[in-house]
Amino acid sequence: MIRALGAFGLGVARLTGALALVLARTTLNLPRLDRRELFRSIVLFGYRSLPLALMAATLIGSTVVLQAGVYAVKFGARLYTGWAAGYALTREFGPLLLGLVMAARIGARNAAELALLNVNGQIEGLRGISLDPFRILVAPRVVGSAIAITCLGSVTFLVAVCFEAVSSYFSLGLPLRVFFDSYQDMLRVGDLVGGLTKTLAFGLAIALVSTVAGLRAKGGAVGVGQAAASAVVLSCAAIFSLDLLLTPFLTRLFG
Amino acid sequence: MSALLRIFGAPAILFARTLSAIRQRGVDRRATMVQLVEIGSKSSLLIVSGLAFFGAVMVTIAWAQTRKYTGNITVVGPAYFELMLREFAPLLVALLAASRVGASTSAEIAAMSVNEQIEALELCAADPIAELVTPRFVASLIALPALMVIGTIAAAVSARVVVTTAFGADGSAFTDARFVDATDVLCAFVKGALCGAFIPLAAAARGLKAKGGAPAVGEAVTAAVVDASMGCLLIDFVVAAAFLLIGV
Repeated sequence: MIRALGAFGLGVARLTGALALVLARTTLNLPRLDRRELFRSIVLFGYRSLPLALMAATLIGSTVVLQAGVYAVKFGARLYTGWAAGYALTREFGPLLLGLVMAARIGARNAAELALLNVNGQIEGLRGISLDPFRILVAPRVVGSAIAITCLGSVTFLVAVCFEAVSSYFSLGLPLRVFFDSYQDMLRVGDLVGGLTKTLAFGLAIALVSTVAGLRAKGGAVGVGQAAASAVVLSCAAIFSLDLLLTPFLTRLFG
Repeated sequence: MSALLRIFGAPAILFARTLSAIRQRGVDRRATMVQLVEIGSKSSLLIVSGLAFFGAVMVTIAWAQTRKYTGNITVVGPAYFELMLREFAPLLVALLAASRVGASTSAEIAAMSVNEQIEALELCAADPIAELVTPRFVASLIALPALMVIGTIAAAVSARVVVTTAFGADGSAFTDARFVDATDVLCAFVKGALCGAFIPLAAAARGLKAKGGAPAVGEAVTAAVVDASMGCLLIDFVVAAAFLLIGV
């Protein structure tokens, strides 16, 4: 029992330490980022994930209205559907569901690539020819995937809101104008900023956690698979706990 | 359309082959129990903590909004409980399980197929589907609805605790099953069972296809998790729409 508790504590301490190290070395390397690798990771993580993000956006948008619309009718608040659906999307479901899907796409991919380099000794090789792997590999990826996820988040919100409007037109018979009127009247810029802040935080968490998982990989093909798997699971856990930490803070800040 | 076929095609074929393998060779009890522990009880910590956090976040948001417009948060309690039980808990549990179960299943099977252990199984006249896929399929089919029940309880309890302790209001409305009827429970279990069947099939399909060296394992895991989570989102949407269309 005590042994298990101690092992758990050690594991948590190791993980926090590794996260802090990666974050610190990324910040230190910010002024001299490798441009080419940065653009490569933005294209790889952002542009290549666009179809997936759009598909997720259509599903998220339609599902939120299907689920919440029933209650809008039940409480006689059909006219406020635009506001309720938009608020739920930008403040909670958009960032959360996009974060979970992107943890699967970007987190697993980043971890698998880094783990492969690590397992094959290529990271040691970089050190051997006195190149800092953090400057040319890790920092551009962390920055690139954080940028990519935030941009994907704004596109996703836009598409998902359009699909919410269409979905409420078909399922509740709500005219598009009414939907967007209540959306425009009752939603403020603060809501959007709050949602994008959450998305940025989730993106950073995914990037850091998957990098750590990739760099910790040991031992052959099994290690690569395990690194990808643990990156996804740890990113999901990080997203949920960040969500809990950020929400009270953001509601106080943006009302 | 091609994306749909890509996500559901291989799992559908694998589903047919798994069914025929179950008919011919039966289900290995012991392997299924091992997978039940692996898929069910080892995911439960992630799912309980994730859903508990989600429940707390949802009431925090509801509190900020109701304070502005109606002033009484307990009004939304019973509706919150129904929505959580019917829609949100199944969706989030399925997504979390898709990450956890999808990643570990596909990593394991892909590592085996890259190392040609699948061919070795076939050489010993063993059916790799019956040996590897069937136990995971059956275990996940049982485990996911169970995880969903646990996750719903975790979310409702944490909502009640947060409302009572942090906001100082009466939280008992958040575990009030006034609006819940049989169709809500049925809808939740249909979602849970369908996602539970889909996740291991999608992961195994990607894992069995993996070819090449170590990079193939990483690629298989990535593709499997993406397939599993998109498939679960889609299944969730279709079931929700179907239950809405038949009007319950």
